[in-house]
Amino acid sequence: MKKMIKITLLAAVFGLVGLMNTETAKAAGAAETFKFYCAQCHGLEGKGKGPNVTKDFPVTPRDFSNAKEMSKLSDDYIRGIVMDGGPSQSKSPLMPPWGKTISEADVNGLIKHLRGICKCKGKAG
Amino acid sequence: MRLIISTLAAIGLSAVFAGDVRADAAAGKAAFEAQKCTGCHYADGPAREKSIADQLAKKGPELWYAGSKFKKDWLNAWLQDPKPIRALAYNSLTKKNAGDHPKLSGGDAGNMTDFLMSKTSSEVKAGTIKPKKSLKGKSIFNKKMPCTGCHQSASKKGKVSGGLSGPTLVGASKRLNPDWIYAYLKNPTHFKPFKAMPTFAGLLKDKDLKNVSKHVSKLK
Ligand code: HEC
Ligand code: HEC
Ligand code: HEC
Repeated sequence: MKKMIKITLLAAVFGLVGLMNTETAKAAGAAETFKFYCAQCHGLEGKGKGPNVTKDFPVTPRDFSNAKEMSKLSDDYIRGIVMDGGPSQSKSPLMPPWGKTISEADVNGLIKHLRGICKCKGKAG
Repeated sequence: MRLIISTLAAIGLSAVFAGDVRADAAAGKAAFEAQKCTGCHYADGPAREKSIADQLAKKGPELWYAGSKFKKDWLNAWLQDPKPIRALAYNSLTKKNAGDHPKLSGGDAGNMTDFLMSKTSSEVKAGTIKPKKSLKGKSIFNKKMPCTGCHQSASKKGKVSGGLSGPTLVGASKRLNPDWIYAYLKNPTHFKPFKAMPTFAGLLKDKDLKNVSKHVSKLK
């Protein structure tokens, strides 16, 4: 009987830990989102040197750590190009549209993440 | 009367054949488990990944719809001579694919092929995509959409170019079932709930998903 109680207790504790795990896993952080979706082209550090940018790659993705250039881009511009792809902002179609893949909340997280990489603010509007 | 007898005979014969196939698939399932393929692949659907972390924890691609995805001859040959499909190691952006996939003997490969080909998905409707030349599909693949940013493909002259994060599409005509390509583009999260590839359904018209599927299913 005592053993039973122990087992149930253990199960309850593990169950709880399990639950907490899935909860944190679901709310993927912006860094994880960037690494999974964006780094393949923009590079893990956001410098534009991901593994897809081979010598055949016709455009050079911007270095997100360049504060001077990045501060010229507004948050709305970044939101637009991430959701709707390069051509929506007269840029290369090699920048994919992510609007059907990641949520708007994720995109807002990504904008903050990019601002963290450039240590800069965007221009207004 | 004669008709009845020959029909009965035919049914009997096909039962024997069906029995044979099942025996191979059963041997394949046993070998799949015994040879620890299950350590890196799961072969029972539906998809299990509930987060990016789940996807990244996988050591190899999911195989629960292998019978809908692959062409049988390709699968049988690849298991005996597994040449790299992804330029990079699975789930890595920095390591190269070491090309060290377990290699099978002909007998095991045959049984495991039968087992894996029995793993199908009802999302994939046979006969939807006829692998035909599609200029529209080609232009979507090469120009309009970023497909080449992440996938390698070969030009008519055989020059290979393209990005490295996605599986190579060189030889897709031999490897992939055209109907699966379309089913995947139309409802990608059914197969891969978390994937580094953008979802194009809803951005491209259904007709264009079909066109680009046709193009991919012709890639040599
Ligand atoms: C297939 C490769 C690829 C992937 C994956 C990708 N990008 Fe891009 N991205 C590009 C390219 C190429 C450009 C440059 C386009 C140009 O300059 O014409 C670009 C441009 C951008 C720009 C605009 C910079 C500027 O100078 O105007 C932002 C912001 C951006 N990407 C964010 C992201 C985010 C966030 C993700 C992940 C959700 C992502 N990208 C994923 C290829 C990619
Ligand atoms: C150590 C982990 C590991 C083991 C064990 C393993 N595989 Fe794999 N398998 C992988 C990886 C990684 C890939 C991707 C290879 C590539 O892209 O070149 C793969 C690819 C495959 C593919 C092609 C799938 C696709 O979508 O491209 C098949 C089929 C396959 N494995 C079958 C098997 C079978 C059968 C066994 C058992 C004999 C086995 N694997 C054992 C890791 C493993
Ligand atoms: C940002 C990179 C990226 C872009 C852009 C992209 N893909 Fe993919 N694609 C991938 C990755 C990564 C996978 C593997 C996903 C997985 O297994 O989790 C994949 C898988 C596939 C597969 C299945 C291949 C296999 O062997 O499993 C096909 C077919 C495919 N993509 C076609 C396309 C087409 C057509 C386009 C353009 C409309 C496209 N992709 C654009 C990254 C990309």
